[in-house]
Amino acid sequence: MKSLLFLPEIYYTVMALVLFLLSVQTVANRRRTFLVAFGLASLGLFVTLFSVKMHGHLFYNAYRVDLFSQVFKFMLALGLFFVVAICDNLEGISEREHAEFYFFLTTCTIGMMMLVSAVELLTFYIALELSSYSLYILVPLRRGTGFDKEAGVKYILIGATASAFLLFGMSLLFGVSHTTYLPELFKLFPNLITQPAGAIGLMLVLAGLFFKQAVFPFHFWAPDVYQGASNQVTTYIATASKVAAIAIVIRFVGLASENNHMLVQVLTVLSVASMTFGNLVAIIQKDIKRLLAYSSIAHAGYVLIGILTLDKTGFASAMFYALAYLIMNFSCFMVIVKVAPNGRNVWVKDLAGLHKRSPLLAMTLMLGLFGLAGIPPTIGFTGKFLVFLAAMQKGYLALVIIGMINATISLYYYLIIIKAAYLLEPDEDEIPPLKVGAGLKILNYGLIAAIVLLGIAPSQLFDIAKAAASMLY
Amino acid sequence: MNSLTLYLLISAVLFSFGLIGVMMRRSLIAILVSIELMLNAASLNFMAFNKFLSPDTSIGQIYTLFIMGIAAAEAAIALSIFLALFRQLRSINIERARELRG
Repeated sequence: MKSLLFLPEIYYTVMALVLFLLSVQTVANRRRTFLVAFGLASLGLFVTLFSVKMHGHLFYNAYRVDLFSQVFKFMLALGLFFVVAICDNLEGISEREHAEFYFFLTTCTIGMMMLVSAVELLTFYIALELSSYSLYILVPLRRGTGFDKEAGVKYILIGATASAFLLFGMSLLFGVSHTTYLPELFKLFPNLITQPAGAIGLMLVLAGLFFKQAVFPFHFWAPDVYQGASNQVTTYIATASKVAAIAIVIRFVGLASENNHMLVQVLTVLSVASMTFGNLVAIIQKDIKRLLAYSSIAHAGYVLIGILTLDKTGFASAMFYALAYLIMNFSCFMVIVKVAPNGRNVWVKDLAGLHKRSPLLAMTLMLGLFGLAGIPPTIGFTGKFLVFLAAMQKGYLALVIIGMINATISLYYYLIIIKAAYLLEPDEDEIPPLKVGAGLKILNYGLIAAIVLLGIAPSQLFDIAKAAASMLY
Repeated sequence: MNSLTLYLLISAVLFSFGLIGVMMRRSLIAILVSIELMLNAASLNFMAFNKFLSPDTSIGQIYTLFIMGIAAAEAAIALSIFLALFRQLRSINIERARELRG
């Protein structure tokens, strides 16, 4: 029965194979491709939910299935489901390439699922590259605009450099510890971190991972890639891939013991710089996708506050924040995808009159942005509250205050978007109302309910997150 | 001279050359070559640590083989994207790609 532990990955591999078969057909049928991908992605939600309780080891202990990995796998499946659900009108990508688009989304999800389970450095590296390479191909797949290829080139060059940092750091960790298994590294770590090679190794590995998460000094690909990629791909990068990045940063930072002052100081500096820089630069952005890219840099900083406490509560709060961020950010991107004319980019002023064109979409956008800004009673407020609380328990008062100031700054540019959607009148007199289908309506109501209900009653989810964080090693 | 220090020194130099190349060179191909240098530095590290510190295992060799294979896949993807950009710009100089300002 051991192979059952591998069920989610097997399921998504089969899904990728089906999509691959669709992609080699000579006549493309966009409707059928969408329905197949959507059906398989929804079924995947149940498969991952079914395997949440599993735990065990696979492949000579290189692969660890526990609550931590399975919860993240469910979040990734949710991310894929969300993104596929808004692809019914996939105008940013040429029709012949639709099946390939879904195929690469699926392989990327498989890679990330293996990533959150991998506890051996080589397994980890290969899973990371599987997910990254799929994204490198997805970014320049856009049709029509001139700058997607440029974004793709920037993404692959910066990503490959980050992988080189990661590998070099791994080689140093292997050198000082003579092992590549993370649980064994965890036991040796208190001695290793005092040696220069061990400390530099961990820093280089973290630098490679922070590229993926877009933390401040390693952020510079994010705005360009968000702007250049088609709207659906940006949605995927901004939701699912951020969740996976948070998971792997927790996995590596979790190696260090609780009273590791050097690591805490480094992470504090990165967190403060990331929050402040992201929020200040986001204010002047006109393209919403660029604005949300800078906001994602700021949110990476908030997540780091939870992670740098280096204890179980902090990791659990970061996990909760990952789920909150997935839901809130997706709500905003869903509206952007729907508003975008012909799959082009959306500027803030394009949202003018949205509350008349579609009150439901405007409502979802408002709640999503309130969540990102951290206004109660949304899930975003609860997420920030838990993260700040974990830091307060460790006595990082100054950090929490800086975080709160930053949340207030971020409110400014989120409110600009809400103002555009609710108060600005469009330039032209008659803008046709947006058609919102029945499926999209259900998705909207679901997101609104999740944002509000999980914000009011987070305790059950937080308990699961705490149980998952205690399974880390 | 056959010591671990020498190998580590060479790999550190390779890594630095690669990093400088990534930041200074303007041709996309040259940047890709520089990234390969950085990956090879990591491979050399793995081999040296394996030989001198834990000679009874073969972890380093396996890692190096995998790094080579994955680097080849990476080069294939990178070159195909470069080709797509070249069709647009008629140039592989990165200075010409300036539509996006990150």
